[in-house]
Amino acid sequence: MLQKISAFVFLLIVWFIFAGKISVDVLIIGSAASLLVTLFFSDMLFREVHRRLPWYHYLRKLALILLFIPVFFYEAVTAALKVSKHVFEKNPSFNPGIVKVKTELTDITGLSLLANLITLTPGTLTLDYDRSEKAYYIHWIDVETVEEAELKKKIIARFERWVGVIFR
Amino acid sequence: MPIRLIISYFLMGTGSAFAVVTVLGLLRFPDVYTRIHAGAVVLTISAVLVTMGTAIYVWNFFLSAKIVLIGIFFLFSNPMATHAIARASYKRQIALPKEYEIDAYSDYLGRDD
Repeated sequence: MLQKISAFVFLLIVWFIFAGKISVDVLIIGSAASLLVTLFFSDMLFREVHRRLPWYHYLRKLALILLFIPVFFYEAVTAALKVSKHVFEKNPSFNPGIVKVKTELTDITGLSLLANLITLTPGTLTLDYDRSEKAYYIHWIDVETVEEAELKKKIIARFERWVGVIFR
Repeated sequence: MPIRLIISYFLMGTGSAFAVVTVLGLLRFPDVYTRIHAGAVVLTISAVLVTMGTAIYVWNFFLSAKIVLIGIFFLFSNPMATHAIARASYKRQIALPKEYEIDAYSDYLGRDD
């Protein structure tokens, strides 16, 4: 029930932002549309939690997510500059390859979020996740090393700690 | 000129510069996967910088919130699309990387080459 209510409220807020004004007719149409979506797809937006944490844990998670945004943009800009450097070379000289990187995360939301973050950073691209070996297959534009610990440090260690703390 | 406009022009200009870099990369890089990397630059950095710049430029709560939501939608949809394109073109053998020295994924799929 809490899942459905939170999905409804979230959708209504998004509807108000996209409508651009707060008035009664927007509220009526928006609540009808949000109710329809909530009835069918509410389990896709928020998950039911099984073990309850004290309330300050959620506050801490929210603060960590807000702190993570500038860290992510810093990493993304430095990686984008690294890729842009290859564009202006006379003959683009790099060594693309596909490497296998093991991870320690187990939570399914954290795993998919980490894969999306790796793909969002220019220069690395997640191809697949191996469930039995807990490893990502990552296409890397310029393979610098094949040693496992070095790989891990260079590609995913900068995000894995944050995601591991936020989604545990 | 207020400082808000200077910040927004700076953000939009940086985003456009990255977009130009992306086009050059798409034209110059050798194969499908490296070109996808060049495309990731435009969607992550350039689109987000331009949306942030326009959100600061209009400086109206509802309009800025709408533009920020569009930027968040870019951040959600970009990795899914690039991942799907790359994985499909590898698994269906549409564009196989021939000259890669390090290729752990072909071992996983059980191919010899």
